[in-house]
Amino acid sequence: MSNLRLYPDLCKGVEGCGICLAVCRSRVFKPGLMLNQKGFHLPEIVKPESCTSCEDCMIFCPDLAIAVSNKFGKR
Amino acid sequence: MGNEACAEGALAAGCEFAAGYPITPATEIANRLAVRLPQMDGVFLQMEDEISAMAVIIGASWTGKKVMTVTSGPGISLMSENIGFAVGVETPCVIVNVQRGAPTTGMPTVGVQGDVVQAKHGSQGDYQIIALCPSSPQEMFDYTITAFNYAEKYRTPVFILTDAFVGHMREEVVIPEAEAIERVFRKIPAPRTDPCTIKGFLDEDIAPMPIFGRGFKAHVTSSCHDETGKRNLIDLSSLDKFVRKLSNKILKHKEEITLVKRNYEGAEVVLVSYGPVARAAEAGARLSREAGLPAGTLRLITIWPFPDHEVEKMAKIAKKVIVLENNLGQLYPYIKSAAAPFAEVSFFPPRLIGQIQDPENIVRMIQEVLR
Amino acid sequence: MSGITHPLHRFIRPSVSSTTNCPGCGNGIIAQSILRAVDQLGMDLEDFVFVSGIGCAAWIPSPFFNADVLHSLHGRPIAYALGIKMGLPEKKVMVVSGDGDLAAIGGNHLIHNARRNVEMIVICVNNRIYGMTGGQAGPTTPPGVMTTTTPYGSFENPFDISCLVISAGASFVARWTTVQARELTRSIIKAIQKKGFAFIEVFSQCPVQYGRKSGLNGSVQMMEDFRQRSIRVKKAAGLTEAELNNKIVVGELVDIEKPEMMEEIERMKAKARERAQ
Repeated sequence: MSNLRLYPDLCKGVEGCGICLAVCRSRVFKPGLMLNQKGFHLPEIVKPESCTSCEDCMIFCPDLAIAVSNKFGKR
Repeated sequence: MGNEACAEGALAAGCEFAAGYPITPATEIANRLAVRLPQMDGVFLQMEDEISAMAVIIGASWTGKKVMTVTSGPGISLMSENIGFAVGVETPCVIVNVQRGAPTTGMPTVGVQGDVVQAKHGSQGDYQIIALCPSSPQEMFDYTITAFNYAEKYRTPVFILTDAFVGHMREEVVIPEAEAIERVFRKIPAPRTDPCTIKGFLDEDIAPMPIFGRGFKAHVTSSCHDETGKRNLIDLSSLDKFVRKLSNKILKHKEEITLVKRNYEGAEVVLVSYGPVARAAEAGARLSREAGLPAGTLRLITIWPFPDHEVEKMAKIAKKVIVLENNLGQLYPYIKSAAAPFAEVSFFPPRLIGQIQDPENIVRMIQEVLR
Repeated sequence: MSGITHPLHRFIRPSVSSTTNCPGCGNGIIAQSILRAVDQLGMDLEDFVFVSGIGCAAWIPSPFFNADVLHSLHGRPIAYALGIKMGLPEKKVMVVSGDGDLAAIGGNHLIHNARRNVEMIVICVNNRIYGMTGGQAGPTTPPGVMTTTTPYGSFENPFDISCLVISAGASFVARWTTVQARELTRSIIKAIQKKGFAFIEVFSQCPVQYGRKSGLNGSVQMMEDFRQRSIRVKKAAGLTEAELNNKIVVGELVDIEKPEMMEEIERMKAKARERAQ
């Protein structure tokens, strides 16, 4: 059960962007093979269990395409 | 003084905020607004340049304030991009141009009618504007109020095109009681209207203005946009609508907007003029009639949108039309275009640009034309 | 997967599905930093009016933010913002625009309103280039960079915009890069609450224009470059100018109290009313 949610239609792809992959210290993501509607390659969540909810991927995604569920239950 | 009357007219109309930059011969309007506006809880701001003077009043207009800026020709040149912006996003505002000797720095203390076409075409693109030409300090008061009301009613910038003569002229001005003065305020959407349903732009019958701070979540953009304010940089149909709707908004109401003074019954020669030149034209026509010549006048108070219907109506009656302007002929081609199918049209400038035509010279011109 | 929603999506205009920014553009990180500040303050976008000029950064609030937004002419947003503040003094007026818009064509309005110390927030997204028009040199482009209008390399000295604004008299000035997104949010929160001209310069990556022209390969590399070159104010204080060469000094540079224009205007009006009696 992942605490991450990817919004595939907002993502602009791992080649042109790829910021989430770069900022994640737990290596949760890998470049994926799936394309979204616009033809961008989405990141793949390969190690959801390693996620520490640091929220870096959510904060640094320029397209607001990743959400992290708040470990302190704010939302 | 004419300039002072203009400032009082603005206050009587409900002006709450004005901005400007010092420039001869308009500075007296700014000075008076600087004294009087704060007494009525308003503000006059002297900005860092004319560009920001026009910009700041647009911003204030979008919060629901009635606004005005005052300048002369060089200032209008600087303001032109912003005037186009005000037209494009349908922002009520009044712009006073106290014209002076031009081009460029020219002669600041002399009145000329040199910025007439600039008022219509100063900014880029096809668009309409409203411009009023007062001829006296009383009219500086009265027509400034009219300008504010037009601006609010049609959601557009409105020019007061005056000059150093009328600006610095001293005559009696009667200021009516506040209750006797008609004040128009722009249509705005009803409170708590769902923002997603608001169509605040591009309505030929003037859309309600989704002013800021009321929860309307207005998206106001200088880019080509649709009725909701949403930007569209791709579809030609959107650009076509943008240009045509904005233009038709004024043209559709041209007859209501047009103000003229007709005094040409039974005339064979009609003098067409505006602003202070019209005073000379009136005097010239009167002297001519006293001498038995069939002369009359058509004074244009609104010169934009161009009242071609009034010129045509007059030309069908007259045989000869003489256009008098204090310039090299700026409104003349428009008047000629409307009148030439029906009458002979000629242009009579002053002996020296910057002077007003001498009424006795006008009589001589009428005699010559009738020969 | 159930029930996770992005906490800031509620601030996005319903008719807008995604941004028009290039992949990896720093604008989106800044947009989030702004919205996060609004969220953390418990404020609503109705408490704000946003103004932007022309350029990619100007598309941060327009049409993205579900608020009153004025997307205006090139260089002028600060002038409109002053007018809006005059009419709605209780609202927070925030200008979001780029380095070319605010410091080149808009330079005059920037310095004068900093001088006036009028209460508003100005976020200057500095990507060191004119991105939207295809990559021309701007007033912050470092010398030697080859752009479409400087094909032999830029030959002008660039501005330090924050220094310019400090000299002009702003009472709050901060500088960050997109790498310090959380710190940026904290500064934006302070700026929103500041009774004065609050200016925040944010270095932002433009991978498609500036990145390609300066030899940096992509968004991630540009952000890594920011991270390496960033140095905090306190640390920078102990260094020489030579040691600071090519560094980006980040942090809150100025936070002082001084007369603010809206307050001065109220005082002026009171004087006028008194004299009128």
